[in-house]
Amino acid sequence: MSTDAQSGENGGVEPEPKESEGPPMPQPTSETPNYDGEFDAIVVGAGLAGSAAALTMAEEGLDVIMLERGNAPGTKNVFGGIMFTPRIRELTDFDDAPKERFVAEKTFSMLSEEGDATEVSMQPAAWKEEPHNDSWMVLRGDFDEWFAEQAVEAGATLLTETTVTDLVREDGTIAGVETDRPDGRLHAPTVVLAEGANSLVSEGAGLAKPQERKDIAVSAKEVRKYDREKIEDRFHLTDEEGAAMHYFGDGAVGDAVGGGFIYTNKRTLAIGVVYSIEDAVHDDRTPDDVLDDFKSHPAVAPLVKGGRMVEYSAHAIPEGGPDAMPDLVHDGAVITGDAAGLVLNNGLHLEGTNMAVESGYHAGKAVADAVAAGRTDAAALADYEDDLSESWVMDNLNHYGWFLDAAAEDKEFLFDDLPRAIADAETDYFRMNDEPKTRHTKSARKRLVGAMGGYLGAAKKAWKYRKMFI
Amino acid sequence: MSTQPGTPDVEQPSIEDRLYTVKYEDPGESHLDVELAGICEEKCVTQDCVSVCPANVWRMEGDDGVPTIAYENCLECGSCRWACAHGNVVWEYPENGSGVSYKFG
Repeated sequence: MSTDAQSGENGGVEPEPKESEGPPMPQPTSETPNYDGEFDAIVVGAGLAGSAAALTMAEEGLDVIMLERGNAPGTKNVFGGIMFTPRIRELTDFDDAPKERFVAEKTFSMLSEEGDATEVSMQPAAWKEEPHNDSWMVLRGDFDEWFAEQAVEAGATLLTETTVTDLVREDGTIAGVETDRPDGRLHAPTVVLAEGANSLVSEGAGLAKPQERKDIAVSAKEVRKYDREKIEDRFHLTDEEGAAMHYFGDGAVGDAVGGGFIYTNKRTLAIGVVYSIEDAVHDDRTPDDVLDDFKSHPAVAPLVKGGRMVEYSAHAIPEGGPDAMPDLVHDGAVITGDAAGLVLNNGLHLEGTNMAVESGYHAGKAVADAVAAGRTDAAALADYEDDLSESWVMDNLNHYGWFLDAAAEDKEFLFDDLPRAIADAETDYFRMNDEPKTRHTKSARKRLVGAMGGYLGAAKKAWKYRKMFI
Repeated sequence: MSTQPGTPDVEQPSIEDRLYTVKYEDPGESHLDVELAGICEEKCVTQDCVSVCPANVWRMEGDDGVPTIAYENCLECGSCRWACAHGNVVWEYPENGSGVSYKFG
């Protein structure tokens, strides 16, 4: 693993490096070759996209090095909680992967600020059968380390505690990376940028523009530990079954485009909020306050009460869709995963892990072909973008690209008026008193139609959101 | 939100208790800064860096309008970088993998 290269050196007569400078780039010795110029490809970041790319390239016979800034893969990574695994299952012996629970139940709840809740629960029997719709709760600390190990076992080299600070250009082409290690420049004909949402390298090198804050969401999350039995009782789970609970409305994250979530791991719950930075800057509450309010909602508190907080985390999520994506292919470099903005949020589908892996896989294939052909300019790497465009990744992103703008436009309706009207309609429709049910129904209908802006308004909204269902 | 009768109490940890759960190695110097203090002083009235930060890194403690930066609180989410309407946040990765290390993620 990562430390092999270092221990080869530090185990010898070399003095320990000064801590403030970090370990130097491994120097050429009998145990460690000179890394500079020795690799066909440098992968920036050993997360999902990076490890998928490295694994794919290593299996194609390329010499690959992954540079990871964390002290192990996964230590800098945060996600909501679900790994979507169709491609990983093909690329690895997935039975060995460290997993928590599969998604046996998905719920979507609308919460009002006043404490109302309306929940839809889905538990298709098919999800209980392998491969469990390729939807697993995992812990990224475990999972990302395992996935990077698969790339290393396939022949890739992993170097941790190494931050890429810039790209090296020669004759206008990207020809390697600068790192924060002494003598840390590495040359290679291709660089796969898999640096995540906070894509400082891509931006710094002019390959990507800074995202607008309306296109980025901030997330704050608490992981809480409970007895395994308590989690299974509370969420009605057995064995490896898990529940993925999603919450919308102003009872979840206030008057903001976003939502809250609870995901069940074996012995922990991941409880979090995600909402647009554009909304966050206009909220009196900071994300940790929003998380507290979400946890305190009457429909949420009984599910998360007790336990012991074992980790608090925060992360940013690029949600700008196709319009906010950078050019994926450059002379000598490709951009993948979160750095490429490959996240889908259409309110119901909340996906990024699958697209990170898929993009890493296609990037790896394209780089391998380009290296084999002896050319790594943008034209030679174009297969990456073409393959991704023809895949479900861009198909899905393009199909739902309109959603978050529409949601921002209809924010008050979707997250405030609608949860209120639905709760009031429920109250009316099921009311117990001496009035006839026809009057209750009429009253409930009026609530809903009124919130929609009349029948014409309802028809307009149905048309506006039609792509959710076609 | 007003607490409903019958809603159980949930722990609402202080930000200090929250940050205490995260393994952290101090890089020794701040990886965050403001580009030009004058922009904070004269142009900024909204302090978006403070509003967005989930870790209480950015604080308005003085009265000159320039935020103080508790960089050792930083969870490296990067939100402040996008939040600042003036593009005035300087953000670098803490060196050699220092900063936060998540166990669960």
